Amino acid sequence: MADEAAVTGGTAGDSVAERLARIADEFADLDSRDKLELLVEYAASLPPLPAAYAARRGDSRVHECQTPVFLWPEVIDGRAGLVAEVAPEAPTVKGFVAVLAEAVAGRPAAEAAALDDTFIDRTGLTDVLGILRSRGLRAILARVRKSLLAAGAG
Amino acid sequence: MPGYAHPEVLVSTAWVAEHRDDPRVRIVESDEDRGLYTMGHVPGAVEIDWQVDLQDPLQRDYIDRAAFERLCAARGIANDTTVVLYGDKNNWWACYTFWVFKLYGHADCRIMDGGRKRWELDGRPWSTDRVSPPAARYTASEQDGSIRALRDEVLRHVKAGRQLLDVRSPEEYRGERMHMPDYPNEGAVRGGHIPGAVNVPWARACNDDGTFKSVRDLEKLYLREVKLKRRSPTIAYCRIGERSSLTWFVLTYLLGFANVKNYDGSWLEWGNAVRVPIAKGEHPGGVGQPAAVGGSPDGQS
Repeated sequence: MADEAAVTGGTAGDSVAERLARIADEFADLDSRDKLELLVEYAASLPPLPAAYAARRGDSRVHECQTPVFLWPEVIDGRAGLVAEVAPEAPTVKGFVAVLAEAVAGRPAAEAAALDDTFIDRTGLTDVLGILRSRGLRAILARVRKSLLAAGAG
Repeated sequence: MPGYAHPEVLVSTAWVAEHRDDPRVRIVESDEDRGLYTMGHVPGAVEIDWQVDLQDPLQRDYIDRAAFERLCAARGIANDTTVVLYGDKNNWWACYTFWVFKLYGHADCRIMDGGRKRWELDGRPWSTDRVSPPAARYTASEQDGSIRALRDEVLRHVKAGRQLLDVRSPEEYRGERMHMPDYPNEGAVRGGHIPGAVNVPWARACNDDGTFKSVRDLEKLYLREVKLKRRSPTIAYCRIGERSSLTWFVLTYLLGFANVKNYDGSWLEWGNAVRVPIAKGEHPGGVGQPAAVGGSPDGQS
């Protein structure tokens, strides 16, 4: 288990669970059109893929997903991070990945356990995206949770 | 657009730009990813989403007639409105929405040839304005069974040896995979194709810029390569009926086939159904050719 006190500096102190609750509330209060706009804003916040990662896309692909999605959930010095690349033709997927990246950034890996399926339900995004697309988001969420928990335990 | 059987159903980006303020015209975007419309759409266009707006949330079916009427009314579409559809991915989802509009008998539907891609390539502006057209009155017809095939009809069609077109990837057709390359497996328990079906992947009907191929190229593909006949009843299918709605559009409106139905249950239904025949491998097979049908795991590959 990583030490809470190790997380310092500019990173917000609230836990992954707290951040997810805040983001879910942010979405839940909006109507459909505003939810989509907020997702698109998140998408724009996802940084371009660092060159070092581009060479090793191989097994980072999320195959359950409808569009090319590459994820590198990482734990460095006990802190979680999510590097990702999502095709520009899939802005809602990209936005969701950006949400997850913001939620886990700099937090102890064990807190990734808070990334459970109920998060998507709490945002109300299933009503906006439909069942099939939400299934893709669940696959992404599960991949990030499992990878961070495994990396944190290792 | 010379040579197409019904050239009036295709409009150019220039036509759309000229008619965007025409009250008799409603421009409608349908995309795989709803964020695309959100990031920028043709000025004045409303959005209809194939999942959220067109699927019944309870029963596995399209929305019913009353719900379709409410949808059209809310989008400012009246019975005499010219509905111009466009979208991403070679207008794949636009054709799906087009098909649902025809299912409920809408008279005047068009496709903006080339969709989002052509609009972008032509350097036309995108808008992020909220579009709230005045509500309209709409009365839908009963579903038009002449363009939709359900499972039992497909089974009769197979047994009668009539023409079937599978528009999935060759890997899906041969039974090597149960979903599109790069797409999730949405739960079919058997792989292969409906016996007798020939295979022309849907995207071969389109050029790189998203527009439809010329009538000459389309004839080469569908009439000469796989030898479909214009006058024979035809059923097209894919995985969930989306890709095949584009092929249905091409065969019906661009090549003038007399009788084409979309089997929207498609492989997600057929590949899960009990005791329906399945063929594997690269050959169409047929119910009269036991080597190719279900029960023979090696098929003809």
